[in-house]
Amino acid sequence: MAQQELIIQRYNPDTDESYEESFNVDVQPGQTVLDSLNAIKWEQDGTLSFRMSCRHAICGSCAMKVNGQSMLSCQTQVDAAAERGDPITVGPQGNQNVIKDLVVDVEKFLHQFERAETWLEPYEDQEPPEREYRQKVEEFDHWSHASTCIHCGACYSDCTVAAVDENFLGPAALAKAYRFVMDSRDAKREERLQFLSEEQGGIWDCTRCYMCVQACPKDVLPMDAIMELRTLAIEAGHVNNHGVRHHKGFMSGVRKRGRLDEMMLPVQSVGIGRLLTGNLAAHKEMMDYTPGAIRLLKSRKLLTIAQRHGANAEGREQIERIFEEVEAEKHHHDVDAEAFGAEFETAIGGH
Amino acid sequence: MSKYAFWPGCVAQGAAPELYTSTLAVAEHLGMDLVELEAAACTGAGIISDGEPYLQDVLNARTMAMSEQMDLPLMDICSTCVGVHRLAAEKFRDVDYRIRINHHLAPEGLEYRGTVDPRHLLWILLEDVGIDKINSMVKRPLEELNLGPFYGCYLVRPERTLEFDTHPTRRDSLEQLIEVLGATSITYDGMTKCCGFPILTMNKQNSLTMAGTHLDEAQSKGADALVTPCPLCHLNLDAQQPDAAKVIDRNLNLPILHVPQLLGLAMGLEPETLGLTRHVVDTNRLLNKIGA
Ligand code: SF4
Ligand code: SF4
Ligand code: SF4
Ligand code: SF4
Ligand code: FES
Repeated sequence: MAQQELIIQRYNPDTDESYEESFNVDVQPGQTVLDSLNAIKWEQDGTLSFRMSCRHAICGSCAMKVNGQSMLSCQTQVDAAAERGDPITVGPQGNQNVIKDLVVDVEKFLHQFERAETWLEPYEDQEPPEREYRQKVEEFDHWSHASTCIHCGACYSDCTVAAVDENFLGPAALAKAYRFVMDSRDAKREERLQFLSEEQGGIWDCTRCYMCVQACPKDVLPMDAIMELRTLAIEAGHVNNHGVRHHKGFMSGVRKRGRLDEMMLPVQSVGIGRLLTGNLAAHKEMMDYTPGAIRLLKSRKLLTIAQRHGANAEGREQIERIFEEVEAEKHHHDVDAEAFGAEFETAIGGH
Repeated sequence: MSKYAFWPGCVAQGAAPELYTSTLAVAEHLGMDLVELEAAACTGAGIISDGEPYLQDVLNARTMAMSEQMDLPLMDICSTCVGVHRLAAEKFRDVDYRIRINHHLAPEGLEYRGTVDPRHLLWILLEDVGIDKINSMVKRPLEELNLGPFYGCYLVRPERTLEFDTHPTRRDSLEQLIEVLGATSITYDGMTKCCGFPILTMNKQNSLTMAGTHLDEAQSKGADALVTPCPLCHLNLDAQQPDAAKVIDRNLNLPILHVPQLLGLAMGLEPETLGLTRHVVDTNRLLNKIGA
């Protein structure tokens, strides 16, 4: 039997003391980090606190940081963890207050689901069905990944935006919101998309850092869900925000020169229209960018338009062609979808 | 001589021109032949795909088809480019999707067959050039320096897309490069986190709190400079550093080096050639320390 050292980040609320403590445990092949914590608790120190229940990656209670990354301790084998860091470090989840040792206060995490109202809102003018509400298999296949969340909090713990902003809805709640936006049984799709676009801490505050995708033990792919929500929100016409202006500005630069145009991007993000109509907030935002731009000029970092490459002429022509083709194809799809929608409504007699 | 299809990315030809020039200088020194993809488009950086994921995919399939047509491996010099290219390459394993995308490439005589493995210069240095050769080219060892790696999200996540399992050296590529050049690589929490750049224009406060926190942490752990393979990170860490310092209310003075600048310095190239005079945070103290 091999021995393994674990360094555990501990916190004693009675004395308000934080400290690291090292333990050695005997490990059998296949033994998990959670098994090892139990061994420590039973045989070495009964005061060690952590959450657990199912021990089968179902309940979501045992997520904690192992070697700095959040994961389910019941699903993480000691051998695999030791390959990434020896001794293995174990600590509580991030972005939440620690109650004791490895136990964090999940209130803030759970509150985000309430804010996003992540439950089914059925159509009120419809009689509830005799049996269950039904969803088509093909539709479900598209978003089923987002329905497998076990609320373990691993993604929220590692989220880089939640680390600096309490107000961010965070990966899990946003993925769950996506799940209801996609569910054809849900009546609040429009309201949801509007809320998620306009709410402070909504879909446009994510940095696309992939922490949540990496951390999630259930392949919920929260960031992918957030990115799809952005596309859906734009399609639904929720375009009056910095995120969408940034996207549109970026696109227009690439369309023109084949490359991003950083010079114009701040102007476009703030909104040319808003600036021209003398919107005070917009002008203040623009002033915010000015010191940065002046610094770039001083350090000779920004090249003049003439010095900047862009794609060559041949390339630009092809890029423009592709933009046009994709646009046309999309329009075509929209027409198809509308026709399909009308057919569908007739078939179910509207709702 | 090793030859590559070279995608410089927009930032290296825009707000971070010193990355472009230092890459060319270092490549020449190492005998790498870079064939620039002059007709290629921006990767979209995950921003085009906010509203137009399909369009972004087509643009990237086109870039990869060009590299395939030249029968050359694809080299990026931006973490974000690598991430976006690799995620696209992953999607194109689906043959039906590739057929649909290829419709848009056919008019210009291109077809993407799905064989490209987009890599960062940093990986190519370790995987193709090799630690030994790099070691033998060091003229100005950086022993005096403590350097903090700053990866940029897309060179560390998602691990599946980056194929860390089959290429374990990719996991700590920056540390390896720093160490082989004689410097000491320091470890800090922020080194694999997000610099905050993508939300700079959406939520400046959050963005600069992220940048500032990582800079402050690395500085307090004794870093003389950070090294990054991502020019977007460079923008937030270098150009925005004075503002980040204000947001977190700390004094920050930490030069940020691009990967080829670091390598070039160790190989004895001149700071001017490497564009080290074009930074917002002054690099003089750092250069004095190694007698450059
Ligand atoms: S991708 Fe977005 S939601 Fe996910 S961890 Fe990063 S910032 Fe948070
Ligand atoms: S999305 Fe994944 S990581 Fe986040 S709470 Fe749900 S299961 Fe856990
Ligand atoms: S990801 Fe960055 S550097 Fe790469 S092509 Fe796009 S904007 Fe340019
Ligand atoms: S750290 Fe920020 S800018 Fe750098 S690659 Fe990640 S998301 Fe992009
Ligand atoms: S104990 Fe239930 S998920 Fe780990």
